[in-house]
This record gives sequence, C-alpha cells and structure tokens, in this order.
Amino acid sequence: MRDVRKLVLALLVVAAAFALSACGSSDDGTTASGNTESGSKSSKSAPEAEKPAEEQDVPTIVVRGGEPVGGVQTLEFSAGEQIRFRVSSDEAEEIHVHGYDIAKDVPAGGTVEFDFPAELEGIYEAELEELGVQIAELRINP
Amino acid sequence: MSFLPIAHALASRQDLPVPAWLFAWGASIVLIVSFFALSAGWREPRFEQPHSRPFGAGLSRALLSVPAQILCGAVGVFLFGFAVYAGLEGTVAPDRNFALTFLFVTCWLGFPFFSAIFGDLFRPFNPWRAIGRAAGAGFRAIAGQRAAHLTYPERLGRWPAVIGLLAIVWLEVVYGSGGAILEPEVAATAALVYTVYALAMMALFGAEEWCDRGEVFSVYFGMFGRLGIFGTHDGRLERRRPFTAATTWATVPGSAALVLASIATTSYDGASEGAFADFIETGIGWAEDIGLGVTASIRFTDTVFMLLTFAAVSLVYWLGVRGMRTVPGAPSLAKLRTGFAHTLIPIALAYLVAHYFSLFVFQEQAQFTYLLSDPLGTGTTDLFGTASSGVDYTVLTANAIWYVQVGALIVGHVLALMLAHDRALVYWPDYRKATASQYWMLAVMVAFTCFGLYLLSVSNG
Repeated sequence: MRDVRKLVLALLVVAAAFALSACGSSDDGTTASGNTESGSKSSKSAPEAEKPAEEQDVPTIVVRGGEPVGGVQTLEFSAGEQIRFRVSSDEAEEIHVHGYDIAKDVPAGGTVEFDFPAELEGIYEAELEELGVQIAELRINP
Repeated sequence: MSFLPIAHALASRQDLPVPAWLFAWGASIVLIVSFFALSAGWREPRFEQPHSRPFGAGLSRALLSVPAQILCGAVGVFLFGFAVYAGLEGTVAPDRNFALTFLFVTCWLGFPFFSAIFGDLFRPFNPWRAIGRAAGAGFRAIAGQRAAHLTYPERLGRWPAVIGLLAIVWLEVVYGSGGAILEPEVAATAALVYTVYALAMMALFGAEEWCDRGEVFSVYFGMFGRLGIFGTHDGRLERRRPFTAATTWATVPGSAALVLASIATTSYDGASEGAFADFIETGIGWAEDIGLGVTASIRFTDTVFMLLTFAAVSLVYWLGVRGMRTVPGAPSLAKLRTGFAHTLIPIALAYLVAHYFSLFVFQEQAQFTYLLSDPLGTGTTDLFGTASSGVDYTVLTANAIWYVQVGALIVGHVLALMLAHDRALVYWPDYRKATASQYWMLAVMVAFTCFGLYLLSVSNG
C-alpha cells in the first residue's frame, strides 16, 4: 500500500508541474513571439497604426514564371493583428490563401495586396491557384 | 519543392511547432515521472491476470447474433465500396472527394483512436472479413462441406501485416510527396488491389485466420483495440480492465515489428518536413546526380528514409532488450523481444494522437458536412443540405493542440512504463531484479517520448 501512495504522490507532483507550466505559458508565449522581427524572411506588420500604409514594411512576394523568387516565403503574424502582404507577378494568376479562403487576382506585371485580420491560428498556405504552386506559408502564432 | 503528403492535401491548417518552453516542460515531466516510476513501482503484476465482467447473456447474444454480424458486415462492405466508387468516379481534388478523407482520416485514424478506448471496433465492420465469411458460407451451402484451407505458417506470424502497414503509409506519405498529389483514383485503385490480395489470402488460409495474422487493418486496429475496455471471450461480450488485454497480444512472431513500424512510420511522417527535411533534400540531390528523375528521386529518398527510421526505432528497442538480458535470471532474447512488445502500444497510440489529432478534428467536420452531402465533389449534389458548409478552424486554438500533443506523449509514456514494469515482475519474480531490468526499458521509453516531443517542436517550415 505504501507503494500505491508513493505513486499517487508522484502523479500529483507531475500534475502540479504541468499546471504550473500551463500558467507560465502566457508570459513565455508573449516574450517568445515578441522577438520575431529578426530573420529577413519573417516579418510582422508593425502595430503602430500612426504611419501611413506605404511607410510600413509590407512584405512583397515576387512571382516569376510561376515560381516564388527565393523559394516559399514564410510570413509570421500574431493572432489578432492584421495580415498584410503583397504579391507581384509577371503572369496573371489567382492567389489563394487556404484556411482563410481568400482569393484575389493579380494581373500580369501587376501587384495585389492582401489585408485581413489574423483570426485563425496555425500554419496556412498561400498558392497560385491555377498552377497549384505554393508561394508563401503564413504562420499565425497565438 | 512542393511536398504534399496526405495531411497537406486534405486540411488547410497545419500545426504550429510546439514552443521551446512547452518542449522543456514536457521533457522534464517525462524524466520526473520516470524516476518516480522506478521508486514507486508495485511488487505484484497488476495487468497480467484477466479482469473482466461478462455482459448479460441476452444483450451479449443479441449483439453477437448472426443478423447483427451480417448487418455490420454489410455496412462495412457498403461504405468501403462507396469510398472506392467515389475515388474512381469523383473529383480529382483530394479535399473534395469522399474517398481520401474517409479512408485515410475517418478509418485509418478513427479506428485506432476509438478502438483504444472501446476495444476492437473494426472486426465487426471489416469488409474483407465479411466478404470472406459470406463466401465461406456460400461454399458450405453449395458443396456441403467446409472449404479446405492451408495451414498458416506459424513463423510468418504478423509479418505480412508489418509489410502491409509499411506499404499503406508509403502510399499515404511517400507516393504523394513525389511532386504529384495522391489522387483519389490512385487510392481507390490501391484499395481494389488490396481487396483482391486479401480475398485471395482468405481463400488460401481461411477468413478468420488471415484476419488474425495477415490482414493489415485487422491486425493494426486490433493492436490498439487491446487497450480498450470491451472484448469477447468464449463467444460472450465482456467489459475488461483497460490495458489488460494488451498483455496477451504479442504472442505471435512479428508483433514487436508491427508496433515498431507504427512508431517509425508516424515519426517519419512528422519528421519528413521538419527534423529530416534537410537530410532528405540532400539525399534527393544525390539521387538526381546518379540519374534518377525528379519524382523518382524524391520517392526513392523518402522510401530510404522511412526504412532508416524503422531501422533506428527498432535498434533502440533492440538495445533495451539486450540490456535487460544482462540482468541475472533474464529469459532468452527472443522471449524478451516479444515479451515487452505490447508495452510500446501506448507509445504508438500517443504518437498517432500527437501527430494527427488536429487533422482528425478538422477533417471530420468535412467528412460529416460537405463530403457527406456531395461525396463526389461535383458541386451539383446536396444530399443532406450541408454541401456548402466548411471546416471551422477556430474549434481548436494552437495552445489546445499543443497541450493535447504533449499530454498524449506523457500519458503514453506513463502507460508504457506501467505495462513494462508489470511484465518485468512476471519474468523476474525478485522485485529488485525486475526493477533493475527496467532501467533499460525506461531508457527506451524516455528515448521514444523525447524523440516524439522533439519532432513536434521542430519547425516544419
């Protein structure tokens, strides 16, 4: 019976440790997502809405010959902020953001801008709908 | 480079990698649990004796009656046939076709998940078993005698199921990564080829015999069913203590290989885009250099990596078994190898939950809305008025998925330790020697669980 009590004690300790880790999560989470501005590929739309849109660092995905220049681009955002990025293409295409199910046409040699709230967490693909080629991966962190 | 394994082809949302802080917590808890397990272990086996309570005779007889068996079998055959029909006749878009979601998500993930709770749910609905038994009954009615079958070679054991499991995951994960997606038509054709094979084997060895040993789905789902609480004994339904039926599972050759193949294939699917991605990329480069085409290079390299993962996972288990052999009074290596195989079933299940839980939750919404109303994906049918519904990706937050993933691995780890400790007490009646032997299995379990955590935490970008 002593053994059983020890086992119960062990499980309680583990449960407590897990509960603690769950509590600590929110603090750690924000600090972790706070330093995402490093890395040239990843980008966050700045929360300072004072600046006009042009001055903000809106990432642009360049598509040449049906392929994203520099490979599939990773764009990181936090849940709740605005997802903003542009796609410029030398050929006319339809750009489709999966999950959010937002599609926009880009004319040949033109640029199209996406601007929508990050409501869904997780990883989603943006692709050239006609060709079925992935051009970007949107990561929406909690 | 566009990799498109089945999870990508179906659900639009992929899981974010588990953050570093949660990885650290998960790994710490695993270690703490493990050390407590060593000091707090019980001294008499707990799971080895069957603990079960039979159902009432009437209820048991009704549920196991011939009409009930025919009904369940017919449901299985109809759904399987319908999925094949949808695959052949429906849209080529994987996510709009009933076939892929039904076969690879609803059945391939649903049966392990629910069987692990309720016992083997697949057996009554197994379409091949139903056809095989119906054919056997027909033969008896016409010929007036039982069909003569070959004796199944004992040494083959569950090995045909191991090969089959690798083949199915190959189709699911490797075939679809070769640039082209896994088309519903290909999956349906593979299902038909498998049907011919399964029925031929049943004709040779008998339906029940083949389902017990070689029929992949029966053997694989049945393995998880051994954790569950319902089963049959002497023709009567019973409620049993959870996990106890697992202790008698690994009595057949190839059982250890099956559970290791399950862990390895799930690992490979998780790692192919994360932990192994760079190595695979290099391997594909080499394959192209020696003159293979693009698709062939990708498939060849993926196949090699899948088999390497299987070899590595098996090696870890084998080292643990070798280690246990050094403890005085140990049984033979062969006995140890089979004897501890069942202790890995909870880890195999934990890997499945950790890797596919979110896919299952998302894709089942599709299964029961637009895939049910418009199974062929033609856009013109709406059988139940749900054809225009979509998948609600807000039902799970990223945090919820992370907790389920890490929680599943930890729970699986604890269950595996409990089963291993129990089995050690059978082989080493001396409590201290049993505990000494379990340092080795503990190392094996910690390795698998921490590897699982690591796979979840690696960015798959």
